[in-house]
Amino acid sequence: MSTEHLDTEDQKAFRLKARNWMQGRLPPRIQGEPAMDWEDKALVDRDRVIQRCLWDGGLAGIMLPTAYGGLGLSKRFSDIFYEEAAPYRLPWHFGNAFNVVMPVLIAHANEALKKRYVPGILKGEQIWCQLLSEPSGGSDLAGVLTRAEKRGDKWFLNGSKVWTTGGVEGDMGLCLARTDASLPKHAGLTMFAVDMHAPGVTVTKLRLIRGNSDFAQEFLDDVEVPEDHVIGEVNAGWTVAGTQLANERAGMARGWHEGVAAAVEASEITPRQSYLTLARELGLADDPLAREIIGELIVIDAVYELTTRRVGNGMRTRSLPPTIGGVPSLMAARTDVRRTALLSALTGPTAVAAPPGSSGLDNGFMRVCTHRIGGGTTEMQLNSVAERYLNLPREPGPDRDIPFNQLRHNALR
Amino acid sequence: MQYTNPITMARPRWRSRGLQARKGRKNRVDINLTEDQRMLLESTGKFAGDRASIQQFRRIADRRAEFGRADWQEGAAQGWVALFTPEAHGGIAESSQGLIDAAIVAETLGRVVYPGPFLSSCVVAAAITAAGSDAQQAQFLPGIAAGEILAAWAYAAPGPRGGIAPGSVSATQAGNTFTLNGTAAYVQDATDSDLLLVSAASDSGHSQFLLPSKAPGISIEPLETLDLGRKIANVKFSAVQAGPETLLGNFAAATAAFERQLQIALVLQSAETLGVIERALEITLEYTGQRIAFGRPVASFQGVKHRLADYATQLEGGKAAVAHAARAVQSNAPDAAIAASIAASHCGRWGTDIVRDCMHLHGGIGVTWDHDMHFYLRRAVSNEALYGAPLVHHGRLAALAGL
Repeated sequence: MSTEHLDTEDQKAFRLKARNWMQGRLPPRIQGEPAMDWEDKALVDRDRVIQRCLWDGGLAGIMLPTAYGGLGLSKRFSDIFYEEAAPYRLPWHFGNAFNVVMPVLIAHANEALKKRYVPGILKGEQIWCQLLSEPSGGSDLAGVLTRAEKRGDKWFLNGSKVWTTGGVEGDMGLCLARTDASLPKHAGLTMFAVDMHAPGVTVTKLRLIRGNSDFAQEFLDDVEVPEDHVIGEVNAGWTVAGTQLANERAGMARGWHEGVAAAVEASEITPRQSYLTLARELGLADDPLAREIIGELIVIDAVYELTTRRVGNGMRTRSLPPTIGGVPSLMAARTDVRRTALLSALTGPTAVAAPPGSSGLDNGFMRVCTHRIGGGTTEMQLNSVAERYLNLPREPGPDRDIPFNQLRHNALR
Repeated sequence: MQYTNPITMARPRWRSRGLQARKGRKNRVDINLTEDQRMLLESTGKFAGDRASIQQFRRIADRRAEFGRADWQEGAAQGWVALFTPEAHGGIAESSQGLIDAAIVAETLGRVVYPGPFLSSCVVAAAITAAGSDAQQAQFLPGIAAGEILAAWAYAAPGPRGGIAPGSVSATQAGNTFTLNGTAAYVQDATDSDLLLVSAASDSGHSQFLLPSKAPGISIEPLETLDLGRKIANVKFSAVQAGPETLLGNFAAATAAFERQLQIALVLQSAETLGVIERALEITLEYTGQRIAFGRPVASFQGVKHRLADYATQLEGGKAAVAHAARAVQSNAPDAAIAASIAASHCGRWGTDIVRDCMHLHGGIGVTWDHDMHFYLRRAVSNEALYGAPLVHHGRLAALAGL
């Protein structure tokens, strides 16, 4: 749905520039092609090329400050870009860089880092990842054990990070590490910009239950980080992490892959045809129980979709508070669980044992924990909604004031 | 609610900010309200607080007071039903957003378990506005909008699976008059009504009639109701003679009109349920935040706070579903029917689940007559079942999706 009729002269010119540049240069958007697949190196590399192409056409970083290579334009121009970009594939593997890393750099990094790395992303030269979770814990993020020691004018990082999305393809990483264990746990952390290709960084793939490897584990052995690659202040890493997590939640709420589907308030509910096809294949099209199950699947999918839109829209327009950001993740987790239960009720034994080569064994069970763990476990989201949005009293904890080195924690390895 | 626990006499130590929105705004069914809608929300909220509070509802539930015609006229005078009637007949349909605005009213009324015939009046007014002759519009619309004519919609079949289609009232044609037979079940607000909108099924299609409630052959049999603020009756038709002036629209051509009325009813009922959930949850947030057990507020335990977070999430889902449905139905969007049933299913199911647990989270005090929670639970359970229970909507959704 084009809003071209609303364009001012400037906007019209920008629109035509975008339209003309992308035509013939960007690959078409292909129905069914995944937005992201970190195991498909060709797809990742193509996104680097697409991002570079947008830079060359003067279309990268539309709303970012001109001082760091952006265009310094308003949201309206960004909307125009996405309208014009609808027929094309966009560099969605840079989602992490744009949704999370960019706002962190802009808010907390020193001028030198901003001048170096913001354009690096805009030119498609660097894919960034987030080095947060560790083998010793993920939900309790402030309890990270990776340590950074200063020797001379350099920092040296030791430890292990895990559950890094796109870690294998990452060029740079935001890494949260402990710089002072004699302080309480939130107070002794620092955020670093780490070169993923630096000596001492070893990246391995994690094989997940479906056989896929979207995530990586990193081992950091005396990885050297220049002094000016501290983001924010030393021992103020928790503040930076706060910005990071808030932007991650906001990005998920508004739709991680901007431009994949314009999640406009007005768009219609379209029930998934695959449910109907499945019922017909199972010979259950006229079965009243099956029809009720399908009806409920339609309800939960739609409510999840509409909730995401509402909360995203509300946060964007500031009619809802940012503390509501945990709601869509929670809804996703609940919806996924219910969907698998309903699909199992529909398919019975046909989805647990089938002739060789059949597709569709599993009903989503091998995926269902994704939303319940990724981006903070369901329990963390529940705490976030309860304590931040509903403002309920916190659970008392022993870990807030005691020096970190006196706290109980899991072993380093 | 300033709640003092009668057993511990505990005073609030902690105050809930409730379901937050930015800068003193309210997080209600629709966000980003227009200025007119903000005023409507404010005036309805003030009316609900001053003239229809839960304390006033308690007097009705205790049978110390009756909700009478004058009470409804006071409500109608707020312009709630006028949202559906054209300016030519004293309404404001052209200058309002109709159902979207009415959903804001319904939600606000749900917060006080309002007992008046809001939903019924809106549905009948919308039906007459859509299909009524000039004479019918002039005869009924100003009165319905002003609350002087009490109208009810009679259509559903008796039994557990009805509510989404005309049931067992039949209409046969002889010349230009019609004969109605059968029973319409669970007719909301029929008991004291003046006017019945009757949706009848016949072999060749649905037909609708506007009949005086006291017409010969009509008998209204009030039912006992779980919801202490609802009057529900079965309406029996035995050889009721309906003249041509009672026919709304054309004979056997009201299938689409019926569907639209159902959608309006579903949106308003779901919106009301949102208000019920919202208020029940606010009361519960307040109470569990101040109630102390084992030396801490009850709401600081994850076993409690996680449930409240889930309920806030599902409430947000309900708001998203109802806001979308209100817009879809108002604009006759292609997904209007689907959207209305989705809202009805979600709000129906979660209304009951959440308010029941709100009662539970109060402990013993929640199940006493003197606590308000049972009024909310009664309304939630009742709304889940009327106009099609969730299971019925699930079956309907499968059909609407093309199965």
